[in-house]
Amino acid sequence: MSLLVVATYPVEGGAVLEGQVTLSDEGGLTVDGSPVPASQGTSALLAAACQTASHMRMSMPRALVAGDIGRGDGTRAVYKRLAETASRVKPTVVVFHYMQPIMTLLRHALAELADACPNAVLVADAGGMYAAKAAGLARHFELMTPDVNEIGFLADPKVTHPAYVGHYLLGGGDFDPVALARKAYESGGSSRVLLIKGAQDHIIEEGAVAAVVDEPTVPALEAIGGTGDTITGLAAALLTAGLDPVDAAICASRANREAGLAMHATPAMRAVDLVAYLPEVLDTNLERWRGHS
Amino acid sequence: MRLFRRKDKSGEPWQEEALGLFLFDEVTDALAAERTLKTSGYQVSLVAPPPHLRAGCDLAIALARLEQVGAQRVLAEAGVHVRDWVDDTEESIRVCDVVTTVDFGQWLMVRAGNMKIVVDRDTGDIVNTSGGGCPDIPYLNLQYVGRRLSDVCRPKDVGFTLCGLMLDRAYLEACALLNQRILE
Repeated sequence: MSLLVVATYPVEGGAVLEGQVTLSDEGGLTVDGSPVPASQGTSALLAAACQTASHMRMSMPRALVAGDIGRGDGTRAVYKRLAETASRVKPTVVVFHYMQPIMTLLRHALAELADACPNAVLVADAGGMYAAKAAGLARHFELMTPDVNEIGFLADPKVTHPAYVGHYLLGGGDFDPVALARKAYESGGSSRVLLIKGAQDHIIEEGAVAAVVDEPTVPALEAIGGTGDTITGLAAALLTAGLDPVDAAICASRANREAGLAMHATPAMRAVDLVAYLPEVLDTNLERWRGHS
Repeated sequence: MRLFRRKDKSGEPWQEEALGLFLFDEVTDALAAERTLKTSGYQVSLVAPPPHLRAGCDLAIALARLEQVGAQRVLAEAGVHVRDWVDDTEESIRVCDVVTTVDFGQWLMVRAGNMKIVVDRDTGDIVNTSGGGCPDIPYLNLQYVGRRLSDVCRPKDVGFTLCGLMLDRAYLEACALLNQRILE
């Protein structure tokens, strides 16, 4: 059972890194021994996945990442290496995360993965999710983790980026994430399972609500960059450990909220603060949550 | 000698003029074109191209068709690369203009589309940025967090993508709400 995260890191011209991810006690992250800066985004996802893997006594996640500050160069470099990496690593779960959402490259990548690791379970968030939806490839994915600002994007077949979906966004009296999730599934814009991150986390299976997680309530988490990424990291690692996708999503949502509560979250804190509390939260709760969600 | 004088127009360009679209290979080209054309007095709007012309995270500029020749010359003079022009805006979609705020007491969170910025009301410090999915967003997070709103360049001048553009909108609103100077 192995998890491969395909993404970028925020360093201009940063080299392609492929290998095992490690997380130090101080929160430092490395990929194949090279440090990756801590910020919101993929580093938060990887850190949460490491804590989860450690708790589950699994091998650490692997990552295929390259430096990219928005020009798409690192994204292209990563896609170029994907087939070889997937053939060698044979991941059971593959996550596409912060990347330039280039539809043609993702389409090509999925064809390569179908050859290299045909049974791999696919997860997408961030740019990986944007590309999957925009290219009409969302149905290839088992799990996507949009936030409430992104579910309207998945539901609207006409748009290729969340920046174009103003009328679905928060604040409108008719905003209904459940209805949007159903529409997204029916129109082919969503994965089989969705974890919609918000004040209430909705776990959706094939367009219908499977669970709602709204406790504990920690409003400050929305303001902290990377706390959506940590949910994705938790869910992906739990999926790799063999949890059912719905259970993985529910446990990820609960763990993230409990860690936010334990850290006494304020809008000025960081995702690394939350990640530090995950071992304690998982040790205390995960066995109790599994199968009882 | 300039063949076309700078124009100073007012009013919504979508209402009466027949429009066309400048298409670009990169979002950064579209943003540079918007800046250049607005500086030259053209009234333009950032939009998503029609579906059959999209590649993913892309952006087009809508402009009155009758102004295409002059505008194209301005862009060429400024060195902005344009992929193509199409005499059609059917099925193009405007960029989200919904901006909302959340009051956290000491901190103010501003959302624009899929992007968020959080600032300390007293100091004007950026304490968090979040959302998005394009690779410039973690980079902007590293560049901005811990710095004052008035000390950073606009996100659309540092970032490269539509997510960066949405963060720019949140940034402008935060500056306005806190009466902070915008570094141009």
